[in-house]
Amino acid sequence: MIEIRLNRGLYEAMLTSLRRPHSFAYERVGFAVARRVEASTGSSLIIVSEFIPVADEHYIDDPNVGARIGTEALTIASRRIYHGRSRAEGIFHVHEHGHTGEPILSRTDARELPSLIPGFKSVGPTGPHGLIIWSLDNASAWVWLPAEGKPLQVDKISIIGAPISIVQRRSS
Amino acid sequence: MSMERTSRQSFLGPESDSKIASVTVGVVGLGGGGSHIVQQLAHIGFRNFVIYDDDVVEDSNLNRLVGGTSTDALSELPKLFVAKRVIFHLVPDAIIRAFPLKWQECPQPLRECHIVFGCVDSYQGRAELEVSCRRYLAHYVDVGMDVHGSDPPVVGGQVVQSSPGGACMRCMGFLTSDRLAKEAARYGDVGARPQVVWPNGVLASTAVGLGVDLVCDWTNIRRPAEYLVYDGNKGTITRSITLRNLNLEVCPHFLTSDVGEPIELEL
Repeated sequence: MIEIRLNRGLYEAMLTSLRRPHSFAYERVGFAVARRVEASTGSSLIIVSEFIPVADEHYIDDPNVGARIGTEALTIASRRIYHGRSRAEGIFHVHEHGHTGEPILSRTDARELPSLIPGFKSVGPTGPHGLIIWSLDNASAWVWLPAEGKPLQVDKISIIGAPISIVQRRSS
Repeated sequence: MSMERTSRQSFLGPESDSKIASVTVGVVGLGGGGSHIVQQLAHIGFRNFVIYDDDVVEDSNLNRLVGGTSTDALSELPKLFVAKRVIFHLVPDAIIRAFPLKWQECPQPLRECHIVFGCVDSYQGRAELEVSCRRYLAHYVDVGMDVHGSDPPVVGGQVVQSSPGGACMRCMGFLTSDRLAKEAARYGDVGARPQVVWPNGVLASTAVGLGVDLVCDWTNIRRPAEYLVYDGNKGTITRSITLRNLNLEVCPHFLTSDVGEPIELEL
């Protein structure tokens, strides 16, 4: 059982940032800083503490994809992982799909996003790294835990605030 | 859980049953306040419980321990078992993780809770629970009652909701350095405090109401924090003056980034 948890204020700030229009990119992306904590045996709780939006100038104009980001954005993410190593922090690539229901990796997501993870792991080998995709009313996430070579799908994403919102993977 | 079972609470919203079932609730302390709370949570349909209490039922508890019987007192049954019995009788398929310990001795399961109800006696105990809830992102709902004086006795109490991102119990003036210091000074000399069933019931019901609203959002009030003061002599509950006058953008005691396990760094 893997749960990602974040507070509602951070969630709303994240969504507001991701929904800002960009001069040429069709969508925005960002990075969520997270820490894994020990819960019950066999459970992992991953707590998001910060959101780092990708700056306007760090997008690359590519009409074939929703958003393509440059090495500057990845350098900023890697630097944040490096500075969070003592806290075993990891980083999640975050973006939103503009539909309702449980989002899945698009063909482009599946082809390109997992290739970011080895770089993140090499800088912060003890942190959890992964991907979060929001939809208009749901979310999906995948995490590469330090001891795992393959991604695990996150079972539950909880937004803690008033109100509490919990999305659960349908098969969990 | 059958639709018929919850048909009278359908005003909580069309998805309230599934929302309630998806939340994990923690109850720390299963005496006068906590025993009411677990019973109500089970009636409402909560299924995932993490509960802690290291005490057994005694005769002196039977004036207020919901679900407790004189047989339980005779056999010195752990209060934990009474709570489990109450929950299972109402929700046979409940998932209950029950610990006959102080929560600090096994804190990991509490971290999985989305709402923690604290029914502990001390300010220090409340402070520690709030820190845990803030670090692992859970709402903390505190319940407590007391009786002061004798001519006539004054029954009072409080329900405090401390939520990540909102005002904490220090911001709201409930936890103060003075209270904590005075309590520490009389450590080991607290004695048996007067406790009765009906104020506990009022406070527990109020706390559960806050918890249900956090899950179902049926009032649309969306409280970032709450501090309700109970006057048991008048029979009133009012929002604390401190909270009413609190003009707070960000809690200065718990930063958004201060989450997860604390890390020790060499200076």
